[in-house]
Amino acid sequence: MELLDPTVEQPAQSISFAPRPSALAGKRVALIENTKHNSDRLLEKIGDILKKEQGVASFKIFRKHNSSVPAHKEVIDEVKAGYDVMVAGVGD
Amino acid sequence: MPTLTSKRHKVEDLDAVEFCFQQGWTDGLPVVPPTEDRVWAMLNAAGLKPEEQIGYIENRAVGVSAEKVALNAVMAGCRPEYMKVVVAAVQGICDPAWAYHGPGTSTGGAGVLIIVNGPIARQLDINAGDNLFGPGWRANATIGRAVRLVMRNIAGSRPGLLDRGTLGHPGKLSYVIAENESESPWTPLHVERGFKKEQSAVTVLAAQGPQQFYNQLSNTAAGILTTAADAMRSSGGIGSQPEYTVIIAGEHMKTIAADGWTKKEIRQFLFEKTQTTHEHLKRTERMAGAVQPGDDTKMRSLVAAPEDFLVVAAGGKAGAFSGFIAGWGSKRSSRAVTKEVK
Repeated sequence: MELLDPTVEQPAQSISFAPRPSALAGKRVALIENTKHNSDRLLEKIGDILKKEQGVASFKIFRKHNSSVPAHKEVIDEVKAGYDVMVAGVGD
Repeated sequence: MPTLTSKRHKVEDLDAVEFCFQQGWTDGLPVVPPTEDRVWAMLNAAGLKPEEQIGYIENRAVGVSAEKVALNAVMAGCRPEYMKVVVAAVQGICDPAWAYHGPGTSTGGAGVLIIVNGPIARQLDINAGDNLFGPGWRANATIGRAVRLVMRNIAGSRPGLLDRGTLGHPGKLSYVIAENESESPWTPLHVERGFKKEQSAVTVLAAQGPQQFYNQLSNTAAGILTTAADAMRSSGGIGSQPEYTVIIAGEHMKTIAADGWTKKEIRQFLFEKTQTTHEHLKRTERMAGAVQPGDDTKMRSLVAAPEDFLVVAAGGKAGAFSGFIAGWGSKRSSRAVTKEVK
């Protein structure tokens, strides 16, 4: 018997990461907040630590529309234009 | 002449059903082995070419072709004529408003509640009556199963890997109902959502499990819906304002209709009666912060607006039971989507 495969063969993709800065001192940091409980407080804390311990110039928290979707275009555009480093992740 | 492009597997030394288990293609139950003739029957019944794109899940960067949907519908045990309902439901979960990445992966454990309206529900014998959520109807059991297999095999929502539902629920195997339009006194759901009565449509919601409530005492609409509201007030969606589906079954349907209440009035009543004080939400650790003066009169509604109650007439004729289903997450994260069955 011959069966057909119901799964999707994923095409190979190459992803290139932006080069990482060697140090955070003087950098402008964007923190992406996913709207979950306390994620804003956690990121505020992380921002403070980055300032105190790494000497970042500034940080700003950007709020996504909701945790199910990637950061929306306005956020991406603003981060691209005005920031050197972005921190994004899923807190749950 | 179009051809099927899926990878082919020769199965000689092993039972085909067992082979499907071994490949990790199933939901834990045996599947119908997906052979070429069965896949063609599925595609032909829906008038689809194998390469046609049924949907694209943006956040997962996954395109869903008719061929792959047909393959999974075969495995689920669908009859070929169910294919167009499966296709409409898959289009629904690929819609950006349904926002696949949340309900397809979340610890919140959403099922895909699929509500079928219009003539197709009667043509395919999709159950709208006794044992609404229970076993016994091939269309109900296999259409939702096909959608879940699409999620598993095409979008990658494998339990324990990308699908991280903490509890999940049995509706994640299949969660299909029809509205009982032939006996309902009300405007069908798909008509409320912009379609014509003679059109067929599928509404998909990211949903928690069904809960029933009991009221054999009251012979008024307000009485029955007061019980409903009390049961709903601190149910699974409390605090996060998802959409709720309200299922009104035979006896309750007659009583509520006898008082002349429309679906709109049902929604408005439930909206008012399912509010909770901020004090209660804080005391029960569902809202952050200490109780403040005035929190005992400050109200939070169960859903963001009365329209977020989707009222559906369905369930058995006998029994003083009806039910409700809390949506997954919040309406901000995923919304009900209705697609025409073409």
